[in-house]
This record gives sequence, C-alpha cells and structure tokens, in this order.
Amino acid sequence: MKTKGIIITLFAILSQFAIAQKADISGFVRTYEGVNVESGEFSIIQQTLNLKFEKRGEKVAFKANPMLYLYNSDSLQLNLREVYMDMYFKNFDLRIGKQQVVWGKADGVFITDIVSPLNLSEFLLPDFDEIRTGVIAAKIDYYIGNSTLEAIWIPQFTQTVRPNTYSIWYIQPDFPVSPTFDWSKSSINPSLENSEIFLKWSAMTSKVDFELMGGYTWDDNPTMHVQKQLGIDSTSVPPSPMLTGLTITPEYHRLAVTGGSFSTEIKGMIFRGEGAYYNGKYFQTEDPTAADALIQKDYLNYVAGIDFNIGSVKLSTQFIQKYILDYNDDISENKIQNTATFMARYDMMRETLHLELFSYIGLSDNDALIRPKITYDFDDSFSILLGGNIFVGDRNGQFGQYQDNSMVYAKIKYNF
Amino acid sequence: MKTIKLVLVATLLIVAGFSANAQLTGTQIIEKTYNRATGDDQTSILTMTLTNKSGQTRVRKIQQFSKDMGDTEKSIMFFQSPADVKNTSFMNWSYDSDKSDDQWIYLPALKRVKRISSDSKSDYFMGSDFTYDDLGDRKLNADTHKLLKEETVSGKVCYVIESISKSEDYIYSKTITWIDKSNFVGVKKEFYDEDEDLLKTLTITKVEEISGFYVITNSKMKNVQKNHSTTMTLSNVKINTGIAVSMFSERMMMRGM
Repeated sequence: MKTKGIIITLFAILSQFAIAQKADISGFVRTYEGVNVESGEFSIIQQTLNLKFEKRGEKVAFKANPMLYLYNSDSLQLNLREVYMDMYFKNFDLRIGKQQVVWGKADGVFITDIVSPLNLSEFLLPDFDEIRTGVIAAKIDYYIGNSTLEAIWIPQFTQTVRPNTYSIWYIQPDFPVSPTFDWSKSSINPSLENSEIFLKWSAMTSKVDFELMGGYTWDDNPTMHVQKQLGIDSTSVPPSPMLTGLTITPEYHRLAVTGGSFSTEIKGMIFRGEGAYYNGKYFQTEDPTAADALIQKDYLNYVAGIDFNIGSVKLSTQFIQKYILDYNDDISENKIQNTATFMARYDMMRETLHLELFSYIGLSDNDALIRPKITYDFDDSFSILLGGNIFVGDRNGQFGQYQDNSMVYAKIKYNF
Repeated sequence: MKTIKLVLVATLLIVAGFSANAQLTGTQIIEKTYNRATGDDQTSILTMTLTNKSGQTRVRKIQQFSKDMGDTEKSIMFFQSPADVKNTSFMNWSYDSDKSDDQWIYLPALKRVKRISSDSKSDYFMGSDFTYDDLGDRKLNADTHKLLKEETVSGKVCYVIESISKSEDYIYSKTITWIDKSNFVGVKKEFYDEDEDLLKTLTITKVEEISGFYVITNSKMKNVQKNHSTTMTLSNVKINTGIAVSMFSERMMMRGM
C-alpha cells in the first residue's frame, strides 16, 4: 500500500508540474488480456497508463514519460521510461537524462542497437518501444550537412531485465546438482571507470542511408562463472571423482562492439543491412580445463533484409546470422545461429482495419514465434486489437521452449 | 504521404500567370499547370476531414514545409493529430529527373527514421480519398493528354483535358480535368476506374492569391461509388519565408515541431 501511495503521489506531482509548465500532455490507456491456448488460464491481465509530458521551445525542451502498469488486480509498477532535457544549438543538440536510444536499420532484432538494454520480462512480446529500457546518459549530436556525429556517455550500467523466477517466461536452467548462487559480483558500481561510451556517425543521402558505430560497453547479460566441487564416490570400484556441488557467480564483463548498417531503395524495394563485431564475449564451455567453464571468443551478428509491396500488401523479410569466430566444439552454443523474420501488413477500410502477421523463424532450431493480429480503429483515438502469439517447434529452440505459453489476446487502447 | 508541393498542386492543378492561348494542346495546358510558379518555399497547416457514407468524420492535421532547390524539391510533414500519429513525421525529396522520390518516416514509438519505398503512388494518403498521385506527385509524361473541348462550369469557360495513363496497370483508366481558360486554374477533375466508370470527383472550392501566387486552399474529393469523401483545407499559408535547408533533415524529423 505504501508503494502504491508513493506512485500515485508521484503521478500527481508530475501532472501538477506539467500543468503548471503548460506542457503538452499525451499518452494512452490500455487494457491487455491474454489467455493460454492450452490451459485456458490468463497469461496476462495488464492495465497500462502511459503519460508523456513534453514542452518544446526553440532552444530547450523537456520530456517525462512515466508508465504505470497494473498486473492482475494488485501489482502496481511504475516505470519512468524517459525523463530528459534537450538543449538545441546551431550545429549540435545535447540531451541529458534518462532516455531510450535506438540505432540500426533492422526490425525486431538488436545488433548495433545496443545502447538501451532490453526488458525481456515478457520475452519479445511487448511493443518494441516498451521492450527497451531507458539509460541515464548524456548524448550529443553534432550535425555536418546530412550527416550526424553522435556521442553517448552512460555513467551507470543498466542490465537486461530478465523474467522473475515465478514468471511463465522464466526458464529454469538444468543443472546436474543443485547449485549455489554467489551474487556478490552481480552489480557494477557507478564510476568513471565503469561508464560506457558509444559513438556513431550516420548520414541520410539520396542514394543510401548508413550508420557506423562503436561502443565500449558492458555485456547486458551476466556471464555465469561456474565452479565445481568434486568429491570421491566411494561406492564405485575403484572410487572415482564425482560432482558434489556447483557455485555459480553471475558477473558482468566488458564488451567492445563495432558495426554499421545501411538502407537504400532499388526499383521500389528497400534493401537493408546491419552487422556488428563483438569483441571479448564469454561463452559457456564443456572443456574441463577451462576456468569457470568459460571461454572468451569474438562473434559476428548481422542481418540482411528487404521491404517490398505486392499490390497494397506491405511485406518485409530479414535473415539474421550469429557466427562465433575461432569456434571449438566444447562451446555450448552452436557456431552458427540462423534466424529469419517475416512481416506482412494490409490496411483496409480507409486505414481503419489493419491485418498483420509477424514471425520469427528459428532456422537453426526449427522453431518459430508466429504473431498474427488484427486491429480495428473504432475511431481516431480508440482501437481494438485481437492477436495471437504462437510458439512452435523444437523445445530446445529460443522460441520452441515457450510452446506451452502460446496465447491469444486482446488489447483495447485509448490514445489522448 | 507525399509532398506539399502536391498538396498545393493538390487536387488538381492550378495554374497561373499567363493568359489563355487558343492554340494550346492538351499536353501544353497540363504542362503550364504543373510548371506554374509556386514560390521558393511554402509552409502551411493542412486539415483533412474524412467523411464516411454515414456522415461520420475523422480529422487529420499536419504542419508542412516545402522548399524548391532547383532540380530537387524537399518537403517535410509533422503530424499533429489524431493522437495515435502525433509527432510522426514524413520527409520527401523529389527530383526533376526520372529518379524516384526518396522518402523517410519517423515513428516516435520506434524512435527511428526509416527509409520507405516511394513505389506506392496508388495508395491512399492516410485513409483519405486522395492517392499520392492525386496529390500531384504524378510525373507529367506518365499520361497522354488530349484537349477534348471547351465548356462552361460555374460561369467559368474551361479547357476540358482527358489524360490516359501510358501504363496499363494504373488504377485509373482516365481522368478528365476542367481548367479555367482565363487563368489556368483548375476547377474540377473526374477519375474513372478500370471499367471506365466514374470513381471520384474532385472539386476546387477555394483558391487564394497569397504573396502573388495562386494556392488552392479548399478542395473536396468524393468517391461516388462508395459515397465517402475527403475535404482538404490549407491554413496559415506562408510563401517565400526563407525556410532553411536544414529543416529537411533527420534532425528535424526526430525533433518535431
């Protein structure tokens, strides 16, 4: 009750502040209910209030974007998605505060788009603007003709948000013995030494748009350092060593990333590409001589995509590949992981009825997430969405592992 | 969404600036319409009102800027309403050459400027009764133009021009345009479907002279087969205010108005 009181008070203060500042207030109210197709149980019952307070002047601006989520009937969560100030100069802009940064040309995959970590508490199902989490950062954009040089400094590391252990999206790791977790290294102290830096040079031209980027960052996902405790199995003849315990220490490590992306139009079709080289990623290994069951390797992650129309149907498809360099067979992950996406969209009834199908297809694991949806704009502010999230295929795949979570859902949304 | 030039040329071709000439061919009349002077840059607020067959209306409001840069025309639109598209922006660069337009859209929810195809000229603009082509983005030489006759409409003596697409798969079998003979301002236009039945009628309801240039500030497109319509109104029209080239950039698309 105390938390609810604080949240409601904060909302009231923000609203009063916005009104006093004559800020522009917009946002939406949304109800979202999903039902598991096998059990008939509700997968999600969520009510959302999204508020955006914005004021823009010629030289300065501010934005605050709190989002209030009510799960079931009693779990209230406040997410201050963005709160920042802008300063506009002749040739450069400065943004300071909590902000979401989106890089790259790919849709639905995150390759050079690594500045803002992800909230995967509901896997990849939320709208993409709700999957990203804000980072507290200072961002400067310097403009030279049609190109932009962007530099971002993040003083405090923000990690990927993972599902809670009671969530339907939490996958229990499989251990041979019950592990002990050591959480002593699972956070990064904010300091100058521990801050993150990103640079990007981008341009929009009549022939091609491109971005070149680099980042000295932290891996948003913790590395699991595994230490084995061995004993002697005296029941065997002769006695042999046996695993008696595991200590797992989640720890974050530095990662250097460089990459780029482009998009261009050729004969009415948009061709897109994006790729990045990740330096110093830790992978789990079954090599018994490896310290902490880890090995450090570099990897490539890239995507090629095309957007095109057939009649009035808009289509888009992408091929994504993750490739571990200097691979050896002890590494737990596959050397190559191939994924594809497919999207089809058709707007009808004067753009009041929208049909869409989006799919992730795991080419390496033979699994998929299929997401059909139909949206009807009852009027300009009010829309009704019916959809499904269908997981199929190999239960060891990144999508097939959730096939017990296939669901149908409805979202009703009022924009203001 | 296309450009603004279009919205001004909008609906059909207005013209200006010279007196009628009895020897003009259909192509020459249309050419003069397209090539009329519209100023070096323009800014305005476009309000589109979509009315369905039950009489219910939906309103879209857009702030738009355009600049003629010689062989390139750049335009940018900032969507102000309805709420679900607020702060969306759209930019178009069109070229005098045969090069197809370059187009980008910024969706605030995605926080990213995305290049999109300019190949869908027969698509309807924001659910209205105007296609991108209707808004003036169609190249002159895409059709053959024939002067049919002269006719008096609303007290104005008009050229009547028939335009037929050189491509067989165009959505209109033909269009017929009435152009005021005295000042080359468009008066109305009819659009015929692939079966050569009348599909839509466009009526220019108001033309204003602003800073020495003719601007269509009110027009109405009616789909006579489905009985719905769209009115377009331009307000706060300003011409030759010296819009900076930097207005037509990713920076401004993301910053908004």
